Amino acid sequence: MATRDSLIQVTDLKKHYKGGAIKALDGVTVDIRKGDVMAVIGPSGSGKSTFLRSLNLLEEPTGGAIIFNGVDLTRKKYKNAEGKTVKLDVDGLRQKMGMVFQHFNLFPHMTILENMTLAPIKVKGMSRADAEKKALELLDRVGLKDRADAYPIQLSGGQKQRVAIVRALAMEPEVMLFDEPTSALDPEMVGEVLDVMKELAQEGMTMVVVTHEMGFAREVGNRVLFMADGRLCEQGTPEEIFDHPQNPRLKDFLAKVL
Amino acid sequence: MDSFVKWSNFAKVVPYAELFKEGLIVTVLLSLFTVLIGFCIALVLALMRMSNFCPFKALALDKDGHQRESGFLAAVGRFNPLAFLATAYVEILRSTPVIVQVFIIYYGVFGMIDLPGFQLFGFIKFSRFFPGVVALGMNSGAYLCEIIRAGIQSIDGGQTEAARSLGLSQVQNLRYIVLPQAVKNILPAIANEFVVIIKESAITYTIGVQDIMSAVNAVKGATFVIVEPLLVATAIYFCLCFPTSKVIAYFERRMSHGDKR
Repeated sequence: MATRDSLIQVTDLKKHYKGGAIKALDGVTVDIRKGDVMAVIGPSGSGKSTFLRSLNLLEEPTGGAIIFNGVDLTRKKYKNAEGKTVKLDVDGLRQKMGMVFQHFNLFPHMTILENMTLAPIKVKGMSRADAEKKALELLDRVGLKDRADAYPIQLSGGQKQRVAIVRALAMEPEVMLFDEPTSALDPEMVGEVLDVMKELAQEGMTMVVVTHEMGFAREVGNRVLFMADGRLCEQGTPEEIFDHPQNPRLKDFLAKVL
Repeated sequence: MDSFVKWSNFAKVVPYAELFKEGLIVTVLLSLFTVLIGFCIALVLALMRMSNFCPFKALALDKDGHQRESGFLAAVGRFNPLAFLATAYVEILRSTPVIVQVFIIYYGVFGMIDLPGFQLFGFIKFSRFFPGVVALGMNSGAYLCEIIRAGIQSIDGGQTEAARSLGLSQVQNLRYIVLPQAVKNILPAIANEFVVIIKESAITYTIGVQDIMSAVNAVKGATFVIVEPLLVATAIYFCLCFPTSKVIAYFERRMSHGDKR
């Protein structure tokens, strides 16, 4: 695989608790390339979410490396090109990684528009007018322009999640991380969120999606990772994973969910 | 038999109306400054208690650089002197009587410091008012600290995760996401604390602050009438505290947009 297209290189990533007695992640190695739509599947407790959350350091890995933009995120300090020791700019790196959560995590005390413009204004230093213009464009894309002045509690679950997605997009990230984005939704609302994600994938956004939606993983993903017990058990194209599974754990898992 | 309260005795209180007026102003100012100082102290204490400052972190690592799980060095590594100091402050202040604290501050600390002898507005003795404010402020700081900490910790961790994942710094997250939501949650408790401070400020008359209670004492000394001036003081305190809690309840309702459909 050509490494020049590589966006995030994860090597032997570990997250151990209690001195190694609990291994949430136990040596995951994967190369996320630009334009990848990577679905991460597996039974609950397999470390899927921990893996995703480690990518933007919401979980601190205890071992291994995550190379993003040429910087190893697992090191608090590193030597830059001039050989100077610099502190890892976690906030700066997180700006380039959008994250969508299972429970939306919209800010309840702000309107939809304020939710979307806060980070662009405060973090990127955009003018309010520019930020609002961009936010309204994004809201229009997901059909929620008329709800810009509503508060999150006034929206349905599906609408909240669509807002959460465009809120992350407003920061123009290089990669989008989705942590079970449809698991907290009523069944009839899953479709509207998946449609937005599908559209995003078709536009070429790099996406890592932890999901229980096998249909989405098969249809939209170009790569599927299967995790169990903190390990990456099998990875491949959707056809390889769903039609020709090799690993017995994967076969067992697919038998239960499909 | 004489009745408990005599109207004629109220007439004896009337000439001292000016004293009660001044006492009212002193009590209000005392409470306002106390809340101000208390809130500042409380915010610093709460941030100290929730801080992640562990200067001996390195000691908890073993030879391979892994975190030790147990033992003395692991405990040393987890030790947070800021949190320890703040916790000690809060527990000591909460576990001792206010009057003891007021006396220690007035006779102990300010006994050694010469305060300027001027009078604010011509009737507030600064050398007594200031120690009173400091003592009450330190006391309410301890209580408010716990209120603020509980308020901040009541905010769902997902809020912080979302803010941080958008690139907001820890301070920005606190400023724009956590505190605005926390303030709304803790407003009833703060209102309660404010009312408590108004009432508790009466204790400063023991160090010669001329508040409402001190007016009662003056009338008692001059006329030997006790119950009636006390009833006047009761009415004044009630008229201060009751509307205060109502006003804050109003702001609470106004800030609750986003909660209702």
